[in-house]
Amino acid sequence: MKLSSILTKALSLLALSLALPGLALADASGTLIIAENETPENLDPANATNSTVNQLLVGVYDTLVQFKAGETAVSPQLATDWMASDDGLKYTFTLRDDVTFHDGTQMTAHDVVFTLKRLQAASAAVLNDMGPFNSAEALDDYTVAMTLDAPFGPFISALSRIYVVSKTQVEPHMAEDNARGWLAVNAAGSGPYEVSTYKPTEVVTLSASKAYWGGWDGDHVAEVVFRYISEPSTQLALLKSGEVHIAPDITVQDKLALMDTEGFKVDIGAAATPLYFQFNTASDGLVGDSEFRRMLSQSFDRKLHLDYVLQGFGSMPDGPLPPNWMGHSKGTELPFDLDAAKAMVDQNGWAGTKLKVRYLPAIEEEQAAVEQLQSNLSQLGIKLEAEGMTWPAQASTVQKLDTTSDINMIYNFPSFPDPHAILNTSFNTQNTGYNGGYNWAQYSNPEVDALLNKAASSADQSNRADLYSSAQKIIGADYPVITVSLPGSVVAMSASVKGYSYSVAHHQTFNYMDISVD
Amino acid sequence: MNYFFQRFLFSILSLFILTLITFLLSHVVPGDPAIVAAGPNAGAEKIELLRIEMGLDKPLSQQFIIYTGKLLQGDLGNSWFTHQPILDDLLRELPPSLELVFIAMTINLLISLPLGLCSARYSDTIFDSSVRLLAMVGAGLPIFWTALILQNTVAAEWQALPIAGRLSFEYRSFDGYTGFYLIDSLLLGRPDIFWDTLRHLFLPAFSLCLLFTAVGLRITRTAMISEFQKDYVLLARTKAASELRIMFKHVFPNGAPASLTVFGMQFGWMLGATVLVEEIYGRPGIGRYAVKAVTQSDIHAVVAVVLVVGVVFLLANLIVDLLLYILNPRGRFKE
Repeated sequence: MKLSSILTKALSLLALSLALPGLALADASGTLIIAENETPENLDPANATNSTVNQLLVGVYDTLVQFKAGETAVSPQLATDWMASDDGLKYTFTLRDDVTFHDGTQMTAHDVVFTLKRLQAASAAVLNDMGPFNSAEALDDYTVAMTLDAPFGPFISALSRIYVVSKTQVEPHMAEDNARGWLAVNAAGSGPYEVSTYKPTEVVTLSASKAYWGGWDGDHVAEVVFRYISEPSTQLALLKSGEVHIAPDITVQDKLALMDTEGFKVDIGAAATPLYFQFNTASDGLVGDSEFRRMLSQSFDRKLHLDYVLQGFGSMPDGPLPPNWMGHSKGTELPFDLDAAKAMVDQNGWAGTKLKVRYLPAIEEEQAAVEQLQSNLSQLGIKLEAEGMTWPAQASTVQKLDTTSDINMIYNFPSFPDPHAILNTSFNTQNTGYNGGYNWAQYSNPEVDALLNKAASSADQSNRADLYSSAQKIIGADYPVITVSLPGSVVAMSASVKGYSYSVAHHQTFNYMDISVD
Repeated sequence: MNYFFQRFLFSILSLFILTLITFLLSHVVPGDPAIVAAGPNAGAEKIELLRIEMGLDKPLSQQFIIYTGKLLQGDLGNSWFTHQPILDDLLRELPPSLELVFIAMTINLLISLPLGLCSARYSDTIFDSSVRLLAMVGAGLPIFWTALILQNTVAAEWQALPIAGRLSFEYRSFDGYTGFYLIDSLLLGRPDIFWDTLRHLFLPAFSLCLLFTAVGLRITRTAMISEFQKDYVLLARTKAASELRIMFKHVFPNGAPASLTVFGMQFGWMLGATVLVEEIYGRPGIGRYAVKAVTQSDIHAVVAVVLVVGVVFLLANLIVDLLLYILNPRGRFKE
């Protein structure tokens, strides 16, 4: 390289760095258009466990603490700092005093208390993950105390889905429905964006809030548009014609093709949403026998699934917990070994057994996994009957033991990146299907329960990691599940999109607040 | 007029039976809306609480009585998932679907009637055979397939028409009074938006109508052929009436009633089939709303959609009957 060209480079870099602060302070401009296959049910923060709703809310509301995109540790948002009492039953939060809601009122401790009281009154789904949370009270305008019935390790993480609403705006609409009707179609937040149009089966438009308390430093757009397009080929056509910038739901094949197409790029987010085959461990039939489940657990080829169904977009599971998570224990699930399974079938005379799996045929990945299992088991002489259902129907079958099928497929969508959110949901007795939870294996092991409960109530992270690690080993030896996959969150977008980052802590969600479009 | 009174009573009865069947079916189909509403990790206690709140703990007969009681007062209830009055949801979703069906029906009539008539007039010629062949092909094309193919070629490849949506991006803030953008745009004096709406409607409407047009065309053709064979046509020909006059003044009005009945029913069927094109063309509408409601077990919303489609179906048939009555002098003279 010639000296002159190096000089020019250096000078232009210098010019760029001088210009950057100016650029960063510039007003948000441009429009970001996002395609989304699922239509939102409503806009209510009570419903933020639902990823479609949460994706909209994440930039409209603020929370006390939040996971930044790509991070798995919380950062302060509305709260500047917090303290837990020694017994872990009381948390005290200090709030920012410079936050204003979109309606212009100032955010105080009373808004936080009101938010939580309203969620409790409305039996909000989002409170399900708040463990033994009892109540909140305002100590002064900027201090909130929260009381728990029992210590709860992941409490701070769980607060990342509690979107704080403006009391002034919401209280007049409480009436008999706790403002559910009003908040379903209106927003009362303090986040960087405001909802400007809400047509839930067509389009939702967010516009940058001019008076955003956090200030606008960095690149973003003036307007974010969500277009609800359920057909993958339509999303692709719109992406190619430039009518949408981000298309998360096109087919895997099209995503592969776009990786090498000029003008497009594909982001692979390390999602932590494992897909399971859950065996009915409480069954009176063969599947209730752990030896039989040991055979079953060797009959699914995860590698084949990852390579062909997911086309490599994802990571190999190793047990029920994502391998990079705190407390992960290696090698707790048996590898694929059809010969070993065959030997067990022959030895025990299990050939001719009939089993039933229930799943959601609308989800391609589930359909493909069921087909593989069906074909593998038929080689062993076991007939697997596949029954496709809708989600409410499948969920209602596991409410009773006698209607729970031998095998159920289900994803685990952890609400926050903590082993509790996965292991407790899928393996604690208190979350069995008949207890109204997502442990559809109806798995109940007092030893595991004790470890999970102890880990949930501890605040010592290394101690928790050990407890979760032990729990996985015991779970593994009971063969309640096959962890089928850890699919990545693969999103195709126009090359003009800058700053896209998958939110690991909020599944199927990304940070539209930090995205700009060239 | 006695006849219409009977028809009216019959329609009300049909609607009641329709409501009863849908209500029963929605409850018999497995699925527990309370689980869905409770969210993940809810616990049996919370689910039970919600079940009581949603009135699902009561016996089915009692639930039905409560539901119909409210229905008679014009209250369709609230959706368990959108938390809005179902009536409001439907008033938002129905106009885009009706708009689609109106345009589809217009295309349908514009093709079926003239082609059917000409095909009958020149029956067993090459023209007639080609029309019949086309109709056969049309009848065999699944709606979603036609929709995908047209979208991929006409819209995506040739960029001749919009790929998806109801309006172009620049009109995204457009909001009217009625929800029918074709009407709203005219009321607001915006011919550009009217044209844009129409452009967005063409492909979905065409995909939707093709299957129905194939049937409509064949029925029209058959009805007209039998008219052409009647004595009055022979008489008109011997009186040297022009062929155009015979076709449009004599044969068409006499043959049309038979196909009109079919077109009336097609209107209702089309409304029930909108979901196929709404999903592909990313349009809001009652079909999409219904699918979402079914997948969530939002029972009252499902029943309301079926009821509304039923009402439209009956209304369309009532209008057809009225038209037939006006068109047919014999009916008028009977009274």
